[in-house]
Amino acid sequence: MATARPGWSRRAQYGLFFSFLAVMAGIIVGVVLLTLSLVAPKTFNSIRGAALDVTGPVAGALHEVVATAEGVLTGAGNYWDAARQNAELKHERTAMLRRMVEAKAIFLENQQLKATLQLREHERGTIAVGRIVGSSFNSPRRFAIISTGTQDGVRIGMPVRSPDGLVGRVIDAGALASRVLLVSDHANIVPARLLRGGIPVIAQGRGDGTIDVRPLEVGRNPFKRGDIIITSGTGGLYPPLVPIARVVKLDDDGAVALPLADPANTSFAIVEPPFEPAAVAAESAPPADSP
Amino acid sequence: MARPVLTGRQRIGRDAVPYAAFVPAATVVFASLLSALPIISTSGWFPDFGYLVFISWRLLRADPWPAWWAAPLGLVNDLFTGYPIGFSIALWSATMLALDLIDRRTMWRDYWIEWILAAVLLALDQWLQWRMAAIVGARVPFTKILPAIGISICVFPLSAWVVSRIDVWRLGR
Repeated sequence: MATARPGWSRRAQYGLFFSFLAVMAGIIVGVVLLTLSLVAPKTFNSIRGAALDVTGPVAGALHEVVATAEGVLTGAGNYWDAARQNAELKHERTAMLRRMVEAKAIFLENQQLKATLQLREHERGTIAVGRIVGSSFNSPRRFAIISTGTQDGVRIGMPVRSPDGLVGRVIDAGALASRVLLVSDHANIVPARLLRGGIPVIAQGRGDGTIDVRPLEVGRNPFKRGDIIITSGTGGLYPPLVPIARVVKLDDDGAVALPLADPANTSFAIVEPPFEPAAVAAESAPPADSP
Repeated sequence: MARPVLTGRQRIGRDAVPYAAFVPAATVVFASLLSALPIISTSGWFPDFGYLVFISWRLLRADPWPAWWAAPLGLVNDLFTGYPIGFSIALWSATMLALDLIDRRTMWRDYWIEWILAAVLLALDQWLQWRMAAIVGARVPFTKILPAIGISICVFPLSAWVVSRIDVWRLGR
């Protein structure tokens, strides 16, 4: 379909015309599929899952190589200035121990109070544990790929966290790998609150690895640099009290925060069941949770 | 190197590699598969490798593959990169059509025209991705994708060079 005039040959002319038709058909099919995947994001779940299964293990294997190389380099770096680091760490450890005893006492007291109130404690099991092996590094969306899938019980919509904090939620699940919508994606809105004072806030990704936090009540800006944002459990998807981010910059009516679970450094991603499955199921499918 | 005789290093018996007709499409699929690299970035500034190699081939030659192959190649790219399915199918088919129309209009082709064409196409690709993200609820400010556009445009010459080397190899010249 390259030449403008294929000459007098009927065959060449027809060939040109049919290839034009084929391209038009390609465009139309593409637009129809695109509309489908934007309007009804669940249509292609199985085929997307299958594609994840192809690339997931490859990314996992390559990730091991990169992690080993990085480990050797940072491991060598740790020996630099080791004596001073050692003293600092010892100092930190004693401080931590003191805080831990306090925390244990608070935990006990909390349990007793809960028992008197007869609050039913939710079982917070772990569905699966995987590694973050890849990301959407060439699009404005923020996804990560984790090395665990439906084989281990992962389902679409489950929250994902790491030991450091909230990572996101599952939006595509293959048998061996799943795609996670990170908390730094613009379409991921997490009901949250300030650790200091418990003021309810909304955390929304900014698409560049940071998170925008806004207070629910308009008025004075409640944030300070260094504030920790935690999930509130509202909405029933994310479990409460999971740290999300640390405030790094204030703006007019909110603040910019950095996720505590940096996907690039997170060792393990823990997939958990939805906090209140009934509440999540009762909501109709949110329109913005899938590409 | 239209005349190997003139280059002085004529290699007798060199012919096109087996399945040379499929090499361009295979490299595009390989470029789409690069999204499986374990790069964990929080900015998303890497170029859309699949599309980059796709237009590199199409700008180098008018017939790297039959025009209708753009649709299945686009589907492969959509599946591996996690774009909404149908995005690359439509965009890549439309690119084939647009470049054919441009080929009829342009009087001459040189390096700069190709780069400008590629820049326009890559910017269009990023802009459409941005629109698509906005439709599904991720309305990122437009300035956030400008670095991605710039990086793609700067990487294009490299991709075009690699593709031209592969073309020389596949045809055995």
